[in-house]
Amino acid sequence: MQKIYKPISRRHFVAGALGSGAAVAAPAILTGAQAAGELKMATFYALSGPGSLFGPTQTAVTKLAVDEINAGGGIGGRKVTVIPSDGGAPPAEAAKAAIRLMLRDKVDIVVGSHDSAVREAIVAALKGRVPYVYTPLYEGGECNPNVFVTADTPQQQVQPSITWLAKTLGAKSYYLIGNDYVWPRKTNEQAKKYIAAAGGKVVGEEYVPLGAPNKFEDAVTRIKAKKPDLVVITLVGGDNINFNRTFAGFGLDKSIKRISYLLEEQTLAGIGDKSSNGLYSAMSYFENEKSEANAKFKAAYRKAAGAKAPPLAMIGVDTYGGVNCAKALIEKAGGTDAAKLMAAASNLNYRTPTGTGVMTNRHVVKDMYLAECKGTSFDIVETFKAVAHGQTCS
Amino acid sequence: MDPILTTNILNVVYEVSTLAVVVLGLAVVFGLLGVMNLAHGEFVMIGAYCAFFVQTQNLPFLAAVPVALLVCIVLGLAVERILVRPLYARPFDTLLATWGLSMLLREGVEAVYGRGFKSVAVPLTDSIDVLGADYPSYRLLLAAVSIALVAGLVWWFVRSATGRRIRAVVNNPELAGSVGIPVTALARNTFVFGCCLAALSGVLLAPLMPVQPMLGLDFILKSFFVLVVGGLGSLVGLISGSGVIGGVESIVSAFFDRTYGYTTVLIIAILFLWLRPNGLFPRT
Amino acid sequence: MSAPLFSFAGVTGGYGATTVVRAVDGEVAAGEACCVLGRNGVGKTTLMRLLTGHLPLQSGAVTFGGRPMDGLAPDERHGLGLIYCPQDRPVFDNLSVRENLTLMASADADRYAPLLAAFPILEDRMAQSAGTLSGGERKILSFVRGAAETGRLLLLDEPSEGVQQENVERMAAFLHEAKAAGRALLIVEQNLAFALEIADRVIVMDHGEVVLAGNAADMTEATLAAHMHV
Repeated sequence: MQKIYKPISRRHFVAGALGSGAAVAAPAILTGAQAAGELKMATFYALSGPGSLFGPTQTAVTKLAVDEINAGGGIGGRKVTVIPSDGGAPPAEAAKAAIRLMLRDKVDIVVGSHDSAVREAIVAALKGRVPYVYTPLYEGGECNPNVFVTADTPQQQVQPSITWLAKTLGAKSYYLIGNDYVWPRKTNEQAKKYIAAAGGKVVGEEYVPLGAPNKFEDAVTRIKAKKPDLVVITLVGGDNINFNRTFAGFGLDKSIKRISYLLEEQTLAGIGDKSSNGLYSAMSYFENEKSEANAKFKAAYRKAAGAKAPPLAMIGVDTYGGVNCAKALIEKAGGTDAAKLMAAASNLNYRTPTGTGVMTNRHVVKDMYLAECKGTSFDIVETFKAVAHGQTCS
Repeated sequence: MDPILTTNILNVVYEVSTLAVVVLGLAVVFGLLGVMNLAHGEFVMIGAYCAFFVQTQNLPFLAAVPVALLVCIVLGLAVERILVRPLYARPFDTLLATWGLSMLLREGVEAVYGRGFKSVAVPLTDSIDVLGADYPSYRLLLAAVSIALVAGLVWWFVRSATGRRIRAVVNNPELAGSVGIPVTALARNTFVFGCCLAALSGVLLAPLMPVQPMLGLDFILKSFFVLVVGGLGSLVGLISGSGVIGGVESIVSAFFDRTYGYTTVLIIAILFLWLRPNGLFPRT
Repeated sequence: MSAPLFSFAGVTGGYGATTVVRAVDGEVAAGEACCVLGRNGVGKTTLMRLLTGHLPLQSGAVTFGGRPMDGLAPDERHGLGLIYCPQDRPVFDNLSVRENLTLMASADADRYAPLLAAFPILEDRMAQSAGTLSGGERKILSFVRGAAETGRLLLLDEPSEGVQQENVERMAAFLHEAKAAGRALLIVEQNLAFALEIADRVIVMDHGEVVLAGNAADMTEATLAAHMHV
């Protein structure tokens, strides 16, 4: 244990970033002793950077979840307090914040909705000593101890949607376009698998740099030349908007269908109603999902967050399940002991906006929805029940 | 002709011509004032937000042009007086000051409109048959307007009395004052003109890009590449720079992909800085 | 005698913190020519730039037509009738000869006709870029531009530099005409004969200061020549 702490106190002296009492107080953490009373939940949401578009929803939805939990007596009788941090910060900054939260603030659990680079930095900083719930959709493969993932995985997004589209639309040829980083490539790996399984053919695959001022005239012209039946889009944010608008601008929306795997209400608003014809999205949440649970969730959210509430969209709403997963985990484990939490995660049921999620292999078996864009809203055309996440974490 | 080839050619024309208009304002200001306005991209961004604002007011798209010009005249005058004029002949300080300004403008717009993507409806949604290739009308119109704007400005610069006086100031600022050219006012007007050109291109490009507070950064980088290649000396340099950068990027992107397009442009810019630092058409 | 059209007193200034010109006084009345003489590098051109507003005064005052000049930019002084033909880079090299002449006015043939008749070399090169002219030809172009302007005060910095003798003589003739028309002239010169041909008064500078000043008629050429050469 001494070995673990040495580098941390050195970092404390070098960076000067930690509170002056942190190094002195550090050994208290080692005992694992927990004061009864409040339960401290650290959150890493995108308060800055390109993802900060989603920050307000993440924060508002988490507040709703925590208020509901506290109104019902807290987690294991302890009231929850939230300590927010910036998940949009550079990974090294997020790691520093995680260490500070662990040593100085002695948080009991961390919930994060941010990109994978920040997740890896936080995982490395926490080293499994504080439980960590990761919530947005991601590429899969996160199996570090004491990390619990409620995110949609590529298997969940791709398998049912591609199979359904191949069958329903009769799509034979596919064109894949995405940003050049791990999530689009992992997602397309799955896509190619299920395209082949459905007897389809990939006629083109291309990636554009992430964070570059991309234009898509050339890509759209290539797609026009290849005439695929379906374009599989793993572009994110502004690129997703720009591509889809260019695609429709060149009139390709009239003859070619599209599915985008990171398309929620906010991005669709950017794409606009003139460019969303024949565009699909597949995720575990759409605001328009018609279940009773979602109606209740939305009503509670509107009541709590008021008339100017940030829009409900998948990235943001994911934190509701994350917070409730944290609650279910700690209550089932009877505390925050890592080994007990890991055991509790097997077949754990917790509340989500649309019902109940079931955790296995520290990922979640969940219902997935396929939605077709109608103007700037989503129309769910198919619900896939209890879709497997395809992860094998022990 | 093969419709795909036609489409690719039109893509290149579109990219080069719209790029030239964005860089034009930057180059005019640098040519006359020796001021590298790092906030140039933010004026493009403000122009785009003006188009969005006009849309939220249910006004026709073109109403954004006078709105953007008005906003940028007021803003440009203030910036010139407060920030640029006191720092003439201090290029490094000007870089810092305009960089600071760019952050201020981004934050300011973010405070009003937030970080979210805004979408401006494309005014013309149909397409036109060009030699068998369907090409979106608005992009064609935009390319035509951009070419007309650059050509008009070159003609004006060469033929008009004001154009001659600007060239005189660039060549010999001291003598220009002595023969009675109001150098201070001309510099001010040129700066404001550069800002207005940026805003105008922002309005025109708004329907074709996600409108968000950071969009100006995309333009400033590419504008620098154009100036590196074309040189800071003349409109000919500017146009050839836009042609090389915009053309190479879109041609390479059309035949390979965007990553190769960016890489090629970067290599060209580095080679120019290394082997021909004054660009194709150096300042005399 | 009436108040001088142009006067300056205690003019001190230079580049940045460096002082080049110290406490120089002088005046020129309408119809009068004053020549500033001195060796190279004694601050004559700096004095001209201080008087025309291209350099800020560290101290002193400049008055033109009874009006203090402080804070006025070169183009504003030009607007009041202060015409300046600098020594270095006297024309716009990137403009044609014609554009140099018509930059601030429409092609006013009458204005330039007598001057162009006297210096036909320019007439032949109207469409040529001024940067292709020889040094002397540029000086002539600059002189023609300044002499044709209607301002009441003409400041010339070494107008004869590099100019052929016959053209220097033509310049002198025009300057006499200008004096007769009531214009005031302040001329920096190295060509002593040319200077004495026109000057009513003389200011001799050394090390940025006035070492000798007075009526031209009172000075011998030998005295002046001694100041001009090391």
